[in-house]
Amino acid sequence: MTLKTYRRLELAENQLEAAIGLFVSGGDKYSVISLAGAADVILCRLVSNFGEENFTEFSMRQEAERGLPVGTIQSHGKDINDTLFINHLKHMDEDEDEDGYIELDVEECALGSILKALANYVILAGREKDFVKAFLAWVRLNLDPNKYNIHCDPNWKPTT
Amino acid sequence: MAKVRVHKSDIAKCQLETAVRLFQNGKDRSSVITLAGAASGILDRLVRNSGKEPFVDYARRVHRELVGHMPKRQSYSHHIDKKLGVIANKHLSKDDPDTVEFDLEEMAFNALARAFSDYVQLNGDGDLFVKAFYSWAWVNADGKALMEKFKNVPEKMRPR
Repeated sequence: MTLKTYRRLELAENQLEAAIGLFVSGGDKYSVISLAGAADVILCRLVSNFGEENFTEFSMRQEAERGLPVGTIQSHGKDINDTLFINHLKHMDEDEDEDGYIELDVEECALGSILKALANYVILAGREKDFVKAFLAWVRLNLDPNKYNIHCDPNWKPTT
Repeated sequence: MAKVRVHKSDIAKCQLETAVRLFQNGKDRSSVITLAGAASGILDRLVRNSGKEPFVDYARRVHRELVGHMPKRQSYSHHIDKKLGVIANKHLSKDDPDTVEFDLEEMAFNALARAFSDYVQLNGDGDLFVKAFYSWAWVNADGKALMEKFKNVPEKMRPR
């Protein structure tokens, strides 16, 4: 047995890097969602511990400012994760009235899962790592600039 | 991007196949653990639904033979997830320390072995990625010696 000490940020960073590697290389998108989702749980907590606003808190504040009904931070986080199917891909309930099938846009969920985790990651570690640069380059090359904030402009608004 | 309808058994297979590829290519062990853990979360229910004995229940049965009582399913399942590093790689509580010490290599192998135990119950061992993992395990975990030890395991402590 070889015990080694790991920083929590390192565990999350490595999983986010693996998720991005799979995503940009056309790998399995279900795995992308699971890896980015796992990384994000750790990153969310680390951002809070760091005294900053994490993505879930930011999203909740935005919805409240738009007058939308918001629940607790836990329920808001769960809603986001359910939208991205993060929980569905690591669990199957006993009492769920399910036949085992789910219907999702796996590309969109994989992209959303990475974007959410990355928003938290850059607060803690910036954008200097190669895997972050690679993903942001992919974003600029492949996403619709009217729909996505591809240049990470804080004042950007969607036009569609 | 379009929605697809997919069965959770196919999702677990994708996750496990990706986990083996990452493992055998020497990639990030946290990602292997998270993907094997996510696959197990689905496979456990599918094995139970099929009327067979999942890994968790086999482990509980062994525990009963060794210690004298059958642990509760939910708590023993959580205990196994903790032992395999699944929890530490996808979760962080407010009061958890910033670092964690463990043997990621060993936990990644064990997390895969647990997931494969359930996968093979459902699907047999014919898939290429299953053969790849079992071949690797035979060579690197001294399969011959393990099988010699297994000969002495009493019938009631063997998988059903």
